Amino acid sequence: MTATAALPATALAGLLLSMADDEFVIGFSDSEWTGIAPLLEEDVAMSSLAQDELGHAAALYGLLGELIDTDPDAIAYDREPAEYRHCRLLDHGRGDWAMTIARRFLYDSADVIRLEALASGSWTPLAELVGKLVREERYHRMHAGAWLDRLARGDGEPRDRLLAALAELGPDAATVFTPLEDEAVLLEAGIIDAPMAELEDRWRASIAPVLADLDLPMPPPARDPERGRLDHGADFAWLWGEFTSVRRADPGATW
Amino acid sequence: MSAKGTPTAAGATPAEPAPVLEAWEVFRQEKDGDPMRHGGSVMAPDAELATHYAREMYGRRQESVRLWVVRRSDVHDLDDADLLQPPLDRSFKKPGGYVMRDKLAAARAQSGQAKPKARSK
Repeated sequence: MTATAALPATALAGLLLSMADDEFVIGFSDSEWTGIAPLLEEDVAMSSLAQDELGHAAALYGLLGELIDTDPDAIAYDREPAEYRHCRLLDHGRGDWAMTIARRFLYDSADVIRLEALASGSWTPLAELVGKLVREERYHRMHAGAWLDRLARGDGEPRDRLLAALAELGPDAATVFTPLEDEAVLLEAGIIDAPMAELEDRWRASIAPVLADLDLPMPPPARDPERGRLDHGADFAWLWGEFTSVRRADPGATW
Repeated sequence: MSAKGTPTAAGATPAEPAPVLEAWEVFRQEKDGDPMRHGGSVMAPDAELATHYAREMYGRRQESVRLWVVRRSDVHDLDDADLLQPPLDRSFKKPGGYVMRDKLAAARAQSGQAKPKARSK
């Protein structure tokens, strides 16, 4: 696609919003561990990961803001809960440490598949940003993998809690790959290299050996695939109240 | 972060196994070619997480290009004053040889000779 060809702006905006909201919401969820993580070092690590995700969200909201000529902060903070387009996997409350690790593993493993499908896309601003995000996400996957391994091999309570977390999150795990409204347009324009359904297959192939090695169950198909980025529920409504509280306390203030 | 020993979870009863945390020393290189310098330490249950935590504590702001993580118990410690700070004069082992200043001053004082002035050209 050349610069003069019409950019499929609406379809692109939908993609960017879904990715930015994913990073934003998991970043905020993980930041809830700040001060209460299992050990001091892990507290710093998880807080730093959360900051990374918020940084990724800021970069993606920035691209989106340029595309639709809107202030990125307004996109991030000034919508109603129902207008967010993150996947349902991220709608579950923080839960215990096993929930956080299970969510991180499921999300990070899916996110990298999505990023790789965009890395050589035709819209340079996104392809270039994705190249940077992939490099940072590598460490996130190492961190989640290290903990998944420890919990899975920790017979008794650690493994039980991990299994419970996977049972709760599993049916929503594949919602990262909820089909986008204008997916065909993005494929046509060469912005993404495969439909979401195919990305989900790639993701399943990538995590199957990891889960099999730890004798953990594969996530089932998404329970409501068409509405995987809608109907966010009470846990997200609470989180939204938290992360917009300062912004709403003084609308229009210069920070 | 440099706490010695193994911390136990608050409220842990003796029946529960203590969390196995140990200290790891972290060395960091600021830029290519620099020596590895001791940065500090982290507590972690194993080398893998110790490396992750070292990365977070000593590398997340791009302040390091390389980290070494060493189990503190693998460090052989020597701080014996008899071996390192012996009481007798060891100046003859230094590359500059004996320290002559004090001896010369004493000899001059004894002979009543003044310290020679710097030679003029």
